[in-house]
Parts: sequence; structure tokens; C-alpha cells
Amino acid sequence: MYKALVIDDEEQARAAVARRLAREGYEVACAGSQEEGLELIRSAAQPFDVVVTDMVMENPESGLEVLKAAFARDIFSEVIVLTAYGNVANAVECMKRGAFDYVEKNIPGMDVYELLAFKVQQAMDHRRSSVNTLRRLDQAVKQRS
Amino acid sequence: MPEKVVRKDESDEGAHPVCLTPEMLGRAASLISSSADIGHVLQTTLEEAILALGANRGFLAIVDHDRGELLVNHTVGHDWDEEKRRMRLKVSEETGRGITSHVAATGKPYRSGNVLKDPYYIPYFDDVRSELAVPMIDSNRRIRGVINVESSLHNAFGQEHEDLLKALAGVAAAAMVLAGHRARERALVEVGKELNAFSDEPISFQKIIDVTAEALRFEDSSLFLIDLNRGVLTLRASRGALAEQIGSLSYRMGEGLTGWVAKEGKPIRTTDPKKDPRWRGLHAEMPPEEVGAFMAVPIVGRDKVLGVLRVMRRRSPYKWLRNEFTQDDEGVMIIIAGQIGIALENRRLVDRLVYAERMAAWGEGSARSVHMVGNQVFGIKGDINELEYLISQGDLKPEAAKELADNLRKGVFRLEEILSEFREFLKADQLTLTQCDLNEVVRQALEQSFPKRSKIELKTTLASDLPKIEADPRKLQRCFSELVENSVSFQQDGGELAVSTGRVDFSLLPGLAAVRSGRYVQVVFEDTGPGVPRDNKQRIFDAFFSTRAKGMGLGLSIVKSIVEAHKGKIYEVGEPERGARFVVLLPHNGG
Repeated sequence: MYKALVIDDEEQARAAVARRLAREGYEVACAGSQEEGLELIRSAAQPFDVVVTDMVMENPESGLEVLKAAFARDIFSEVIVLTAYGNVANAVECMKRGAFDYVEKNIPGMDVYELLAFKVQQAMDHRRSSVNTLRRLDQAVKQRS
Repeated sequence: MPEKVVRKDESDEGAHPVCLTPEMLGRAASLISSSADIGHVLQTTLEEAILALGANRGFLAIVDHDRGELLVNHTVGHDWDEEKRRMRLKVSEETGRGITSHVAATGKPYRSGNVLKDPYYIPYFDDVRSELAVPMIDSNRRIRGVINVESSLHNAFGQEHEDLLKALAGVAAAAMVLAGHRARERALVEVGKELNAFSDEPISFQKIIDVTAEALRFEDSSLFLIDLNRGVLTLRASRGALAEQIGSLSYRMGEGLTGWVAKEGKPIRTTDPKKDPRWRGLHAEMPPEEVGAFMAVPIVGRDKVLGVLRVMRRRSPYKWLRNEFTQDDEGVMIIIAGQIGIALENRRLVDRLVYAERMAAWGEGSARSVHMVGNQVFGIKGDINELEYLISQGDLKPEAAKELADNLRKGVFRLEEILSEFREFLKADQLTLTQCDLNEVVRQALEQSFPKRSKIELKTTLASDLPKIEADPRKLQRCFSELVENSVSFQQDGGELAVSTGRVDFSLLPGLAAVRSGRYVQVVFEDTGPGVPRDNKQRIFDAFFSTRAKGMGLGLSIVKSIVEAHKGKIYEVGEPERGARFVVLLPHNGG
């Protein structure tokens, strides 16, 4: 079972995202602020496989801070950034730094939760293939030595 | 005893010797330079004259240039009653109109050794036999008044008497000029104060015009400003016949003398404006044939003409009553116009800055509210997603449905809160003013927003002798409620909130000399919460600045907008970490 962390300072949004991911079978933890999120990332017994974080919380670059912390803990963690209106520039910056994707919270006429569930699914596939690749490389190195 | 200078007039046997002591001379000289009231100076001069000339009665009359009349202002001797003191003499060269009137009209001294045979003399007192009257002429060759002395002896006054009185009349005229200068100085200071006053009020052009006209004896004066949109000069303030057309009367640029001044940026000063080829006689404070002197100076800003300050005087029917504007007058006008120009520029810069700040706040505000609304909508969509999922699974239990409905309601309510906060922010400065009781507004705000059960101790001290204020009670209540809610939310674990009203206590507001000129009442909200950190003191009233997670951060900016819309002021003067202290000042007109 994959472990997911949802970070958002809007309680209702956080609960809804967590519930949707739980429905997909993830083991979900929640954090209500950047600070709380960073603390969980560092202290969790097992690193999170995927972190879904709001971009703007304590500051406009909270998403970036979360991203850095997640990679510091586990380079194969996948991070998806949520943005409300007007923060796409910051989200793109996160992508450049290795975030799996970003999802805009408000896309008219679309059920963004389905989109998010799909992206998280893709992120897990990506993570699995990254981990597999590493394992094979590792084995290849061991066989040669 | 000072030695007396006594001479005998050779030519007139009846003349009383001129009696002039050095003491008298000293007194006369020191009078002009003293700062004594001009009335006192003139009275003393007259008394000295009577004493020195051995006269037994006399008066000093001042010329009213606008009416062509002489006013008996000062008298010495017996038999003066109220009726004679209130005498107004028409200035006239003709015989039978009085010696004083004749002197004022001709500007020449007049001496009569036997008034009973004099063609100009009018009898006011039975015992008069000799009379000597000399004009008071100032350095601009204007007649300011006449000094008149009388004696019950025939041929009482000779050439020496006349010369001495002329000298004293000169002293009196000089004193009047000096008093005029002092009045100008005071007027300039007053105009300067008005223009530099720290105030959100529009500049009171009418006040400037009034002060200028009174002190400088500009009978009719008007102020025109260039309306940049229409390219015309519009009347903005006037004292005289044009007062009723303020705001509607205008000149095209270059039209008439006034339009020329605006277009060329140069002053015009003339005694006969009708003869000037630029004169159109379009809008004058008086009929064109009555205009005796005209002066208009441009009001200049940094790089362009902003308007015109114009004054006129009526034509005098008497050739000795000169009514033209002097070089001095022009200098004063240019100074005043210069000050008006600077004040206008400053005001325009401030307006532009305020507008720019507001636009910036608007931009930031829109972005911020869009963001917050977006987040709320995202949460609501999440609950809808769950609802649809449960329905599709055929697994919607009443408890789950109720929980989702509750969530949805909360989300929608929150949206409404955001929208109403934003709306209040936009409408904070739209007031419906009535006379209201400040204490009552404070009481209602506390009733409404201070929690019924609270760990916070509320102390209320309302002054009993407050004047009524002109305010929008609903908006003010909203403003005070916000401050109370603010304090309560920062003191979740208990504390104290002291709310008081009263007349302004400046000791609470060190360094705020600027507001001392106005009349304010105050409301103070003081608590024992965390206070406002020094770094934040300037920013807490900014829109969208918030240290609380909830809300858009518009609360204190709404408070400030409401206070400022009432022409009041708000300060936070608490000691950081020891509690917040908000002082709201509101203007009042009462005693």
C-alpha cells in the first residue's frame, strides 16, 4: 500500500483530497501547514511515496519548501503541487525542480479530484519504474563486480 | 522739566505760540516704530498736535476710499457727542461742504483765521474762530486722512502751525502704512497656514480670497483655476458680485485680460482696464465703467499655469483719492498666488499617489479574493465528488449525506463571508451621515461583538459630556466591532479590554501636533493581548495584511477606511508585547 501525504491549509480541501486518495487505496496522512508538512516528511517512519501539497500556504513558495524536504528524505518521492488561481508560475518552477506534475484546483467544468487521482496514479507508476530501474542497475553493477 | 521751544509767529498777531518740547518729538517718533495698535497711534498723534499748537479742539478723519467719505475716527476737546463722532463727511472740493472735505479733495492744507467768513466752513461748534486742516499723505501719494484742529481765537494758526501739523500728519500716514504692512504680513501668514495645513480637506479657496481681500483691501477678488479637461478657466472662489457663479462661470484660455494672464503666465496691473485692447469686459465683479483698478497674477505650478488670482477696485470719483494697485500689492499677490500654486501641486500629487495606491490595492485585492474563492470552490467540489461517488456505489447512508451537506453549507457560507468582506472593503467610504451619540455607537458595538461569556474582562469608561458627532452610526459600529473582535481573537486565553470615550488626550499621541488644530473626540481600545510588533505598526492597516489565518486581512483596512471617510484618524500606539492600544479620533463641531 502506497503512503500519501496531503498538505493544505484549507481544512475542507485537505479533507476532500485525503478522502479521495483513501478511496483509491492509499494510506493517507494530512498536514495543515507547510511547517507541519515538513515535520511529518522528516519524522515519518517510512518516507511518503507521494506528497500532494498546496502551493501557497505560509508563504507563496511553500510548495517549493515541501518539494525540497521530500527529496531530501527520499529522492524517489513523487510530489504533486496544487495551485489555486494565479500561481502557475510557482508550480512550473516546482516542475523544473523535479515535481511530478501540478494540478490547478479550479478548472471550469472539470472534476479536478478525478484528474488528481489519475495524476497520483501516474506518479506511482513513475515511481515504480524509477525504483525498478535503479534496482536493475544495482544488480548489473553487482554482477560485474 | 524739559526745556520748551517757544516761538512767536510774526505774521499772525492772534496766533498762539507753537509749543514743541523735545519730549513731544520723542513721543511722536517712537509712536510710528512702536507696535501699538494703529488707533492708539492716531489718537496720540492728535493729542500731541492739539498740545503743540495750543488748539482747544480737534479731530482726525480717515478716508474711506471706496465710498469717497471721511470718517471721524478720533477726537480731542470739549462738546463732542456721539452724533458728531459718527459723522461721515463726503469728500468734496466744493464750497460749503466743510474744510475737512475740501482738504481731502484737494490734498492741500487749509487755514482759516475767521471761520465765520470762510466759504468752505460748516459750523459744528459755536465757539470756533480759527481752523487748520492738513491732509495725511502717504509714501504712495495717497490721502489717508485729514487732521483738523480748531481754536476759539481769531487767526490762531500761522505757517509754523501748519508746518508742524503737516509733519505730524506725515507721521500718522506713515503709521497707517506700517499698520497696513503688518496686516499684510498677518494675512500672508494666515494664507500660508491655510495652504500648508495638514488636512484631508479640500483647500478652502474662499477662505484665502476672504483673508486676502480683507487685509489687502482688495474690494472684489476672484480665483480661477484651469480645468484641464475642458481647457477653460473656471471661477472657483469669489468675493463680490460673481460669488453666485462659482463653478459655472468660465473664460477660454487667452480670452480677455484674465484669459491672457492664464495663457501667457504673466501678471497684468492697470488703472484703466477698459482701454486695454485685451479687455473684453465679460465677467467683472462690477459694471465695467466702475472698474478703477485691475490686477491679475498667474497661479503657477512646477511647469505650467494652474489658474489666475484677480482683484479689482472701484473707480474713485475724486481725483485725490487714488485707487490704483501698487507695486507692493502686486508683490503680495504674486506671493499668495505662488503659495496657492505649490499647495495645488502638492494636493494633486497626493491625490495621484492615493489613487495609485488604491489601484494597487484593488489589483492585489482582486487577485487575493480570486485565490480565496478558488480554494473554497475546490473544497466544495471535493464534497460533490464524494457525494456522486457514494450515490454511484448505491451506498449513500443518511449520516454520510448529512455530513457532506454540512460541509457544503460551511463552504458556501465561507464563500459568502469572503464576498461580503470584500464588498465592505469597497464600500467603507460610502457614508450616510447623521448626528449621533458616540457613546451609544460604542455601546451597541460592544453589545454586538463582545462575547456574552468570555475569559476577557471588559472595562468601559464613557465620558458624559461628549458633543454629538456627524457620522454614519452603522459604519462606525462596524468599525468598532472589528476592533473589539480583533482584540478578543488575540486574547483567547483571557485578558482585559478597556474601551473608553472622551475628548482628545494628546498625551496618548506624542508627536502628533498636526491634529491639534482640529477638534476631535476619541475612542480608545486598549487590551492586554500580544500587542502589535514595532515592525508591523505601519502595515496593520494595509489591505490584505493579516497575521491571522482566517479572512482576507481586510479587517483593519476597513476600520481605517471608515475612520478616514469620517475625516478622522486612527493610530495604534500600544507597547509591543504588552498589549494593543488603538486610538480613534473623530472630528466634532460642538463646543
